[in-house]
Amino acid sequence: MKRALFICTLAALLVGLSAGAQSADFTRYVALGDSLTAGFSSGGLVQTFQQGSYPALLAHQAGTPDFEQPLVSEPGIPVLLSLQALLPNPVIMAPDVAPGQPINAEYPAPYNNLGVPGATLYDLLYTTGDIMNLLAGNQDNVMHDLILRDGEHTALQQAIGLQPTFVTMWIGNNDILGAAVYGTPVEGVTMTPVADFQQMYQTALGALATNTSADIVVITLPDVAAIPFVTTVKPYITLPDGSHVPLIGSNGPLPEDAYVTLNAAGLLAQGYGLPPGIPGANGMPLPEDIQIVGGVPIPGVVLRPDEVAIIRDRTAAFNNIIRDTAAALGAKVFDINDLFSSIVQGDFGVLGGITLNADFLTGGIFSYDGVHPQAIGYGLIAMSLIDFVNQSYGTSIPQVNMFQILCPGGDCAGPADSQAVHAVFSQQAAQQLQQVFAPRLPPAPTARRATGTHRAVRSDHLLKVQKGAHRVQ
Amino acid sequence: MSGMNRKQLVSAAAVLLLVPTLSWGAGFALFEHGNKAMAMGGAFTAVANDPSAVYWNPAGLAFQNDKGVQLMAGATFIMAGQDFTGESPYPGAGYTASQKDQTFFPPHAYIVYPINDTLTFGFGTLTPFGLGTWWEENFAGRFISKRVDLKLYDFTPTLAIKVSDQVAVSVGIDYAVGQIDLTKGIGLINPYTQRLADVGQVHMFTDGMGNTAFGWNASIFAKLGSGFTAGVVYRSQIDMDLSGDGSFTQYPTGYADYDAAVGAIIPFGQKTPLKTKIKFPDFLSVGLAWQNAAWTVSGQVGFMGWSSFQDLPINFPQHPELSTTVEEGYKDTTQYRLGVEYRVNPTWSLRGGLLYDETPQPRESMSPLLGDGNRTGYSVGLGWTHGNMWVDVGDLYLVFDKRSTGGMSFDGYEGSYDTSANLFGVTFGVKF
Repeated sequence: MKRALFICTLAALLVGLSAGAQSADFTRYVALGDSLTAGFSSGGLVQTFQQGSYPALLAHQAGTPDFEQPLVSEPGIPVLLSLQALLPNPVIMAPDVAPGQPINAEYPAPYNNLGVPGATLYDLLYTTGDIMNLLAGNQDNVMHDLILRDGEHTALQQAIGLQPTFVTMWIGNNDILGAAVYGTPVEGVTMTPVADFQQMYQTALGALATNTSADIVVITLPDVAAIPFVTTVKPYITLPDGSHVPLIGSNGPLPEDAYVTLNAAGLLAQGYGLPPGIPGANGMPLPEDIQIVGGVPIPGVVLRPDEVAIIRDRTAAFNNIIRDTAAALGAKVFDINDLFSSIVQGDFGVLGGITLNADFLTGGIFSYDGVHPQAIGYGLIAMSLIDFVNQSYGTSIPQVNMFQILCPGGDCAGPADSQAVHAVFSQQAAQQLQQVFAPRLPPAPTARRATGTHRAVRSDHLLKVQKGAHRVQ
Repeated sequence: MSGMNRKQLVSAAAVLLLVPTLSWGAGFALFEHGNKAMAMGGAFTAVANDPSAVYWNPAGLAFQNDKGVQLMAGATFIMAGQDFTGESPYPGAGYTASQKDQTFFPPHAYIVYPINDTLTFGFGTLTPFGLGTWWEENFAGRFISKRVDLKLYDFTPTLAIKVSDQVAVSVGIDYAVGQIDLTKGIGLINPYTQRLADVGQVHMFTDGMGNTAFGWNASIFAKLGSGFTAGVVYRSQIDMDLSGDGSFTQYPTGYADYDAAVGAIIPFGQKTPLKTKIKFPDFLSVGLAWQNAAWTVSGQVGFMGWSSFQDLPINFPQHPELSTTVEEGYKDTTQYRLGVEYRVNPTWSLRGGLLYDETPQPRESMSPLLGDGNRTGYSVGLGWTHGNMWVDVGDLYLVFDKRSTGGMSFDGYEGSYDTSANLFGVTFGVKF
């Protein structure tokens, strides 16, 4: 009796101890996700920003040895957008030069950063890529070819193959972002149906939880209707007397609470959408909704309040799925919206007396594509994630040095000799962005090369993963 | 000394005050208004036996009327050093910066004039508040403050009334003149580099002697018998509205159209009116002392109403979009002082003191403007008397607790401040 009691007490003590002594092992850290995980910035993937991606910063701060990323040389793939002029109107475009090249395509193992720009949750589960296809000059599956390389294994499979000790997964942004970039929420085209998302998220996280012993942090999806790509262009023209005249969309004048995307900038410059009487008006409205012309998606550039509500509802539904699935599978949830809403609401605060906000070009956080962060924004994400990891796992990972990110080398003066080349978001910039976030058009994607039909891939390629996978239904 | 000479001396004191003087004190209060009191750790409220009683306990002047007319003036030279060590995320672990070496010399000058056996008039000019920080060029906190000079001059007439042979009271007026001079960098994101850029600086300064406000003070001094004395002094809060100018200077970034865009929102190259308001805290000091022929021992507790200093608004009425408010959130504080004097002979006296002064500043508002900490002070001094003249020399060494913002800085400027200060002063006195 006494002995049994002793053993019980000891067991209770041990349980107590193991619960108290939390920690996390960053020996093999793998990041799954999309462009936000890859360190994509200003419409392209390039070394300088990849090295400042939030997974790279977390790995560096946590002391992960050899955190490998699919680095791309300057000027990036695709060639990064740059600011050509600021006045009288900002001109953003990519210089007409040859794109960069993969730097370490021969790395003999999966990359630790498996974030694939443009990837949806579906892609994480089912899409592969072949570096030989890319090197042969084919542009049909650039990002998966560049990052997954072996033509055989999906991002999820590669992550499991690395047997990571720690995993972050930030996937699902592209399951809703298309609705914002293309100005139109279309079920199954620019946004993923809720039931599909739930099934796929459970499959993906279940596979990770079952086939690895990693600590897993999943990241929620930010409000894509609050990014500068959506919020920068006003739905009206301000007259000299301060009054507003609404822009004209294909469904009529725009209300004050409508959003006009950056894709409209080039059209407005040509006179589209300008109300009659405004100099330069060409009498044509701004296209509000996505159109498919010859198999090519032409974006709508307007989000009316009901569309914004649909996007926000869908994001909230996805986030609930992420939270519920994580809770069922023992993953921790890093809610990016605490950081994101403080940034977009302008109460993020200051660093060293410097104010950072979500303003396009001048806010410091977002890059020239209006969708993705630049180095400072990725630094803030890493900062916030490190705080979360430290709180959740009782670790004491040192914080990133934001001064070095704001002011590399401590010199904020800026090189005087790097004067801009010569003097709106160019059409070319808009197209570049659209290609990365091409919607899933029925019957088959044109801008992405999946390895088979939805159903076929699910039964083949994930068989290994799904075998014994923890089904959460 | 004739009336004429007295007037000359007063003007000399006034001239002294016009010399740029500022300093580094508890929060930004200064207690060095006479080098006898300083050498005794500032434990002078229950001693109050020289003209610096005008600050520490004006009622004590009533028991000095046997000395006739007294004039006393001097200065305290403050040499302060401060090193900053950064913490992540900004400006990052391992970052260090130091303040430039500066010496401040807040002066003090007093007249004590016995009107009759009951009434004694006193007048003092002193600097009860002062702050001066000046950081090395291009340090990482330059967008918060590069340099600040803040000072409050106090011109205080007071009337001490001897109620009995044991008790005296006083009432006085504080006519305060404030000055503030603040320079900080302007940092914005340069959209071309997508990095922070130094786009200019703003120099904010108030008009010479034009910003004034009134306060008042009252005190009690009592002889308790058996060599014991006690004192209580209260000096009121002083709310001061200050006006001046802001002057903006642009730094070219190398990107002409960005510079033009910045120039369109900031009025570079011109002065624009500036308004601010500072609520200087009230002060209550209570002391008890004992003395015999050779020894004086004095202890005292002081309370400063620093919670008056909640923020520092910087308003540009013509450019409200550039106005800011620096959050301060100070808390009331308590200070403890202990002093001793040993009169070796009628000519020489030895003095010593100890003090502990709490900082009113929360970690959140520690910044390059002022990074304060609790301070412990050790003082020594020497007094020399010859006929109608005397000289007091004192030295006070202040050790500040090294203190970190602990990740809570309002400015997002994290790190620890390591400070020390040495104060050395000389005061001359003469009586007629």
